[in-house]
Amino acid sequence: MAEEKPEKPSTVDFAREITSKLGGETITYCYQCGTCASSCPVAKTTDRYNPRQILRLALLGQRGEVLTEDAIWLCASCYNCQERCPQKVEIADVIYALRNIAISEGNIPAIYTEFATGLMSEGRIVPISKFLEKKRADYGLPPLKPTGIEALKKILSATGFDKIMFKKGESQ
Amino acid sequence: MEMAKQEIRIGVYVCHCGLNIAGSVDCEEVAKFAASLPNVVLAKDYRYTCSDQGQELIKKDIRENRLNRVVVASCTPRLHEPTFRKVCEEAGLNKYLFEMANIREQCSWVHLHDREAATEKAKDLVKMAVAKAALLAPAEEIEVPIIRKALVIGGGVAGIQVALDLADTGYKVYLVEKQPSIGGMMARIDKTFPTMDCSICILAPKMSDVGHHPNIELLANSEVIDVKGYIGNFHVKVLKKPRYVKEDCTACGDCSKVCPITAPNEFDAGLALRHAIYTPFAQAVPSTYIIDMNLCLNKDEIMVCDKCIKACERQAIDFTMKPETVELEVGTIIVATGTDVFDPSTLPNYGYGKYLNVITSLEFERLINAGGPSGGRLIRPSDMKIPKRVAFIQCVGSRSNKSGRTYCSNVCCMNTIKDSLLIKEHWPETEIYVFYVDIRAYGKGFEDLYKRAKNERAIFIRGLPAEIIEDPKTRNLWLIGENTLLKEPYKLNFDLVILSVGLEPRKDSEIIQRLLTLSRTQDGFFMEAHPKLRPVDAATGGIFFAGCAEAPKDIKDSVTQASAAAARAGILMAKGKVTVEAITPVLDVEKCKACGLCTKVCPYNAITLNKELKRVEIVEAACGGCGTCAAECPSDALTQSHFTDEQIMAQIDAVTEHDAEKKIVAFCCNWCAYAGADFAGVSRMQYPPNVRIIRTMCSGRVAPKFVERAFARGAAAVLVAGCHPGDCHYINANYQTQKRVERLWRKMEQNGLDKERLQLLWVTAAEGERFASKIREMQKLIEKVTMEEIELAKRVFAKAGGA
Repeated sequence: MAEEKPEKPSTVDFAREITSKLGGETITYCYQCGTCASSCPVAKTTDRYNPRQILRLALLGQRGEVLTEDAIWLCASCYNCQERCPQKVEIADVIYALRNIAISEGNIPAIYTEFATGLMSEGRIVPISKFLEKKRADYGLPPLKPTGIEALKKILSATGFDKIMFKKGESQ
Repeated sequence: MEMAKQEIRIGVYVCHCGLNIAGSVDCEEVAKFAASLPNVVLAKDYRYTCSDQGQELIKKDIRENRLNRVVVASCTPRLHEPTFRKVCEEAGLNKYLFEMANIREQCSWVHLHDREAATEKAKDLVKMAVAKAALLAPAEEIEVPIIRKALVIGGGVAGIQVALDLADTGYKVYLVEKQPSIGGMMARIDKTFPTMDCSICILAPKMSDVGHHPNIELLANSEVIDVKGYIGNFHVKVLKKPRYVKEDCTACGDCSKVCPITAPNEFDAGLALRHAIYTPFAQAVPSTYIIDMNLCLNKDEIMVCDKCIKACERQAIDFTMKPETVELEVGTIIVATGTDVFDPSTLPNYGYGKYLNVITSLEFERLINAGGPSGGRLIRPSDMKIPKRVAFIQCVGSRSNKSGRTYCSNVCCMNTIKDSLLIKEHWPETEIYVFYVDIRAYGKGFEDLYKRAKNERAIFIRGLPAEIIEDPKTRNLWLIGENTLLKEPYKLNFDLVILSVGLEPRKDSEIIQRLLTLSRTQDGFFMEAHPKLRPVDAATGGIFFAGCAEAPKDIKDSVTQASAAAARAGILMAKGKVTVEAITPVLDVEKCKACGLCTKVCPYNAITLNKELKRVEIVEAACGGCGTCAAECPSDALTQSHFTDEQIMAQIDAVTEHDAEKKIVAFCCNWCAYAGADFAGVSRMQYPPNVRIIRTMCSGRVAPKFVERAFARGAAAVLVAGCHPGDCHYINANYQTQKRVERLWRKMEQNGLDKERLQLLWVTAAEGERFASKIREMQKLIEKVTMEEIELAKRVFAKAGGA
């Protein structure tokens, strides 16, 4: 799948691109019944996220809108939609596939880059502050052990995680 | 023998089929190539060979150029072989001197984007056909008489219509119905769309006609248990279960009133009770009551209750009745076994079976029906009150990968629209919501009915509810979903929810499938011989379909198909005879060693061992024409006409003459595998152009020596493909296929060969993708096969294959 992407992919191209990705295979089964959107706990709290709409936009070839806006990052991965979809569209997995495409093109919300930076430098997603360490002590929890950062770095670079996550940074 | 001496003069016609073939195959080049082949005296390409002009061209050439063999390279022989055989006959050439090369379904349509490879493959296919054609022999077909009686299985509206049409034409009809009464699904429905007629009012007179027709013998409460024979001559065994009530019964109902046992009435979807002695509904035919022995207190002739006996003035009750096997001889069989409805209790988010006020559309029909358990008052089960807000949910068990029913059930949209109008008619103030994905109002008068429902203010919301939540106090139901057209979530409260359940293949379809050696499409419904041109014929001769057995359909379509099936069966019976293809085996008496192996593999018991004469004997009329005997015979004493060893070997040799190491030789049975490959073509599924298909009637015809020959000639791989076990068109001949392939695998392993190079595939006529993906998979396999391996296989099989 290393072909160069055309500037403006057509409906067919984007659908084909998604179905060729792990998790994205089932998107074309969608018949827009709305079961996913009405099963979604995130959609209940915000109208910025609607899985049915994301799938529709993707199938209509709205590549830019789908990949650059933050909707795909709002999925909480509860898999309720996937459980109920009558057409067996693996909706949560489709969203992952879309995220993977977005990341590979450097479209990563800042928070994820921050997580990744933390992971690469400290071996932790959440940075450990003095405040947190004090809290632990207050609760009688032992101090945190240092992470196996070197091993972790090896794994992350072997999987290509570092390259993928900091693509945007590199290109800038 | 005469033919052998004669000079062989083959004419080849390469059809463009407009652009269907010419779009991806250079037909002119193929024709040029054909002209260079041995025995070919002329080769032409033509736009539409099956047209009148095309047919005339062939006839003219046969006469003027003294052609004695004809090869047409065009579509599948399953489509036009009969057409061109007729052309040959009309020009005075025996029709068995015709051969076809399938360059459309199995070439141009599956290699749309590779003109060069498709053209090369087409040349190969023509070469194979020409090689076989040179060895063809003329044959005479035997005529088999057709018994002028028909068996109709299933007494729903479709079965009733078939039975009446055939009986009115003058044929004797046996109508077998599993239930105590005929009437089927239609008898349970209140009104019919789009005209809103009362269902039972229009059905009951037909049911009564069946009961009284002098040409119809109704076998209710009966099941077909065995079918033997073939087109025109079926021997059928029917198990007639006892009713324990004699036909003297006047249906007065006195017995039922005194019966102490009650159980849910199946006819009323379990919403009402019946007694152990009962009639399912008022208009039942036969009207004779029946005792349900699973419920009756009297078991195994031990009498503990005689209330019904005492109540019956006519003394019609007879506990000594025994099951009876009725044997029938019929010429044609019509399968009108109908359909089941989807059970929504498998969808937990809709709560059917847990929430009292969630019901199915079939339960609704019984509730709104004046003759039903509530006397036509639409009451909700929790409190027997008339609901003020009613919701319909569409596509429950239809168009759903999750429930495994991927097809549209055809009737639910209109049924719901009709139901919503019925409610409005009785209780105009009721608020009705219909939750749907797409509304399909495609038939005559359907759109008008849809409009009427909308005018009556039934509200249609696009978006299925994700879940139903019951209010435990009121037993009302909250529907939570999204109005997809507004991108707006909804949470709406209803008194009653009706699940519009889909239709599905009957659970006992498998039994009928086995008994009659039928095929089913992927959705589980019975498969027709051709989806467009032979929509009511089964692939098995003399068997026809009517109604929902073949696919979900409404009453009008069921009746239309029933009359069509009656006409098709009537054609056969009016002729009174049928010719059987001359593909039966011929015995070489000299070679037969009376080992009897063939008698063991013959699925039809058509070969018997004559110990005195020390040879076998063939009963041609009983032979199905699978050819598994010829494959089994160790002394080459049996030859299947039109599929002889020499002919098949010639095809193999033609394939493997050039570039054998890049090719797959495939043997496909006519009914499933070859048809599956055709289906891949019809659906334009693309696969690599490496495979060359040799058609046999059954995979059981594939003798090990064919496979060995292919390897001995350097083929990269061999595929043997047939019907799924249990689905064999020749009862069980494909079990021999499996046995033989397993033997070959052992031999390959013993000789250090990769047994993966010989593949066995079970594929139905509907599984085009299964076939295509197997070829894709085998392409990867043959790319890995080395020249050393090819050479080794050549050596291992050199002797056995006789190459």
